[in-house]
Amino acid sequence: MLRQLVLIWVVAAKDLTIEYRSRQAFLNILFFALLILIIFNFAFDPGSRATHEAAPGILWVALLFPGVIQLGRSFQMETEEGTLQGIMLSPIDRGVLFLGKFFANWIFLVLIDLFILVAFIVFFNFSFSVQLGWVVLLIMVVSIGFTAVGTIFSAMVSSMRTREVLLPILLFPILIPIILAAVNGTQEVLIREETQFLVQWIGLVIAFDVIFLASGFLVFDYVVGD
Amino acid sequence: MSDSTPLLHLSGITKRFGGIRAVSNVNLKVFPGDFLTIFGPNGAGKTTLLRIIASLTQPTVGHIEFSQENVNKGRAQVGYVSHQSFLYNELTGFENLEFYGNLYDFREPRTRASEMLIKMGLEKVGQRLVREYSRGMKQRLTLARALLHAPSLLLLDEPYTGLDQHGSRLLTSVLRNVKEEGSTVILITHNLREGLELCSRAVIQHRGELILEVSSDELEISHFENVYLQRVGD
Repeated sequence: MLRQLVLIWVVAAKDLTIEYRSRQAFLNILFFALLILIIFNFAFDPGSRATHEAAPGILWVALLFPGVIQLGRSFQMETEEGTLQGIMLSPIDRGVLFLGKFFANWIFLVLIDLFILVAFIVFFNFSFSVQLGWVVLLIMVVSIGFTAVGTIFSAMVSSMRTREVLLPILLFPILIPIILAAVNGTQEVLIREETQFLVQWIGLVIAFDVIFLASGFLVFDYVVGD
Repeated sequence: MSDSTPLLHLSGITKRFGGIRAVSNVNLKVFPGDFLTIFGPNGAGKTTLLRIIASLTQPTVGHIEFSQENVNKGRAQVGYVSHQSFLYNELTGFENLEFYGNLYDFREPRTRASEMLIKMGLEKVGQRLVREYSRGMKQRLTLARALLHAPSLLLLDEPYTGLDQHGSRLLTSVLRNVKEEGSTVILITHNLREGLELCSRAVIQHRGELILEVSSDELEISHFENVYLQRVGD
């Protein structure tokens, strides 16, 4: 068990080191997210009630769409020099490889999401309150499911020519339950400033996370196989 | 053939991609200590055969035994140098080897990585990013990566491609050491001279099939060259 945890960290640390050294990807994704926020900010009247009501939806568009770019890159980097095949030749358990890739993607996305959240608060005139803690929690748990599904599909389409188009087409229909939970949960804490149903939304997201983390761990051998 | 029990036994291996038969009914035994070179023109199916041996591609028909075990169990004993380096350009040479050392469950992956860098003459550039390496340095690091876990079978797919004279000589010298250490090697190459220099057996693959097999005592370069041209026809 300890050996498996060490290997998960070895794979994740390798990915994070590469991401750190090629910081351009981080900046590109962040810039894309900021553009989304700016476009919505210009498209709607920032002071209107309608914009305020729609803001949680806008936040999650800005969080999830740029995130797909990162998930796509995750296995693209493994195909450029055939490194995935190098890993496949080693005795590492494929489920452990999945968890390592997942963990690196999750850390990367949560980090980027925190920057986007700060920009969102500034652009849409929200205040830095205690309620934001709940939004951060939502971001962390939703990112688990998003990253788990994204890591599976990213591996699946990594050798296809149309991978950039295919990934979001495959990904978003499956993510509908957690997107609904994320938007409703955020609306509850940011707009209505209550937490009555928040626990249920978070519970739904956690159930989704567990299902897809376990699925990824179990099926990854078939996903990356011949 | 230093042992009567084959390290690798391929029985009736065929691989089809749609309607194309890349490998056709290949039967081959490789014995411990063998240095087998596979010659053949482009599109003969050599790379596909090597990928099947490495268990990176499943055969459509046929069976592989590795040390009398299924090849999937034995793949950790395989070192593979392919057309791609299997190296991360954004990691240093040392970090690449350390990473693979961890995957192969070395207790001291850092020590092993340092040993391999010294063995390949890369100790001075070990802390440089791989993207800064020359073609020759990268190829030596690729070989270090493949030999890191002391595999009992080393698979080499056109390792001389893109190397200058100095790089080629270095590679030949490394392969000679590998051979002297008793490792089993399967080499794919177009280059008859380089391929015949070290091998104990040579086979010619053409249109997916193994059409000729000769042992070292029959290996005379000019004679083999004539035979090759006659059989392959180009």
